[in-house]
Amino acid sequence: MMPQISPARVRNVLCAAAAVVVMFSYAAFAQRESLPIDLPNGPAKPGFDVKRLSNVGNGHFKTFYVTQTQPLQQALNEGKVAADTRVLVLSTASGKLALLTDQMSFHHLAQGTAGGRTWMATF
Amino acid sequence: MVPTIDGKMHHFNNVGLYDALFIMQDSETKTLWNHITGEALYGPLVGRSLGPIGNLLPTNVKEALESDPKTQVAISDRPYYVASKLVSGLSGTPDPGAPRNRLAPDAQLNDSFIQTLGKEDTRRLRMDMGLGVWTDKTTRYYPMSVIRDRGRAFVDHIDGKRALIYIDPETNNPAAMFVDASTARFERDDIRLDNGTVVRSGVLVDHRGKPQTTHGPQQMFTRWYGFALTFPGTEVFGQ
Repeated sequence: MMPQISPARVRNVLCAAAAVVVMFSYAAFAQRESLPIDLPNGPAKPGFDVKRLSNVGNGHFKTFYVTQTQPLQQALNEGKVAADTRVLVLSTASGKLALLTDQMSFHHLAQGTAGGRTWMATF
Repeated sequence: MVPTIDGKMHHFNNVGLYDALFIMQDSETKTLWNHITGEALYGPLVGRSLGPIGNLLPTNVKEALESDPKTQVAISDRPYYVASKLVSGLSGTPDPGAPRNRLAPDAQLNDSFIQTLGKEDTRRLRMDMGLGVWTDKTTRYYPMSVIRDRGRAFVDHIDGKRALIYIDPETNNPAAMFVDASTARFERDDIRLDNGTVVRSGVLVDHRGKPQTTHGPQQMFTRWYGFALTFPGTEVFGQ
């Protein structure tokens, strides 16, 4: 049975789970209830123990579906970003794409299509 | 990663934790996926993966433009910081009411996270930080403290190729790039390689300052527990 975490316990969660150095909006994370996970009936990859799965954070984050981009230089010129703004850069079929680290700390996932090919970034 | 499966783009969300790492699920099949390796973990698509996996390299705007002036940016509607000011996403206008995200350099795992952990590898402290790299043949973890002890830049071998392992002086992010050199040393904020090339603002340039095309292994700036649980038995550089 998958453990369900109470809102009270969630309020105590210190957000440090992502594999990379991640910033979290602690207040936003802690004040909302996590939703149950809608699980299929397996199968499991060998070694995966579904009993250790937790729903903490489910429903708190929203995937960023990228539908428009602009040149990074233009965004810098317009003051939308600064030279020291932290970004995460990936390669797509149409070239390099930067995502703002602050924003990805909320989204965790971004998806889009570039050059006719789909891409996904996880953070 | 490539979210297209059998010709159809699937839609992914973070739905919880496993090994104290976020786990994602696609809406179409409810399969659970590892967000680092892209492997299906539980559900009808077990056996599939979302490869090829690309790098998501942490840097800043200055270095991203130095690396490729044609870089595009995607900005969502979430608030973010520009020069210490909080702004609304998309518009870039000040939004003083939004909460500030914060860095957690001394983060600890709370019980809700710990109960999802598998058997931990105790060769390093759980929250130790470092650079994790992996290829088809090799997985290796470079502790930040070891990279610093080695002068913040050195050349290692990965699958027979020489790789510069370094800490970027501007962003303090660790990184790896394949190079044709044997030694590296810092000179102010430049990393000078013994073949005459230089890493400057995250970009490899030749002796005339012309940018060189570079490649690196799959890599991530990671906590030890996350890398070790994702790649059991990983090599640890320096021990």
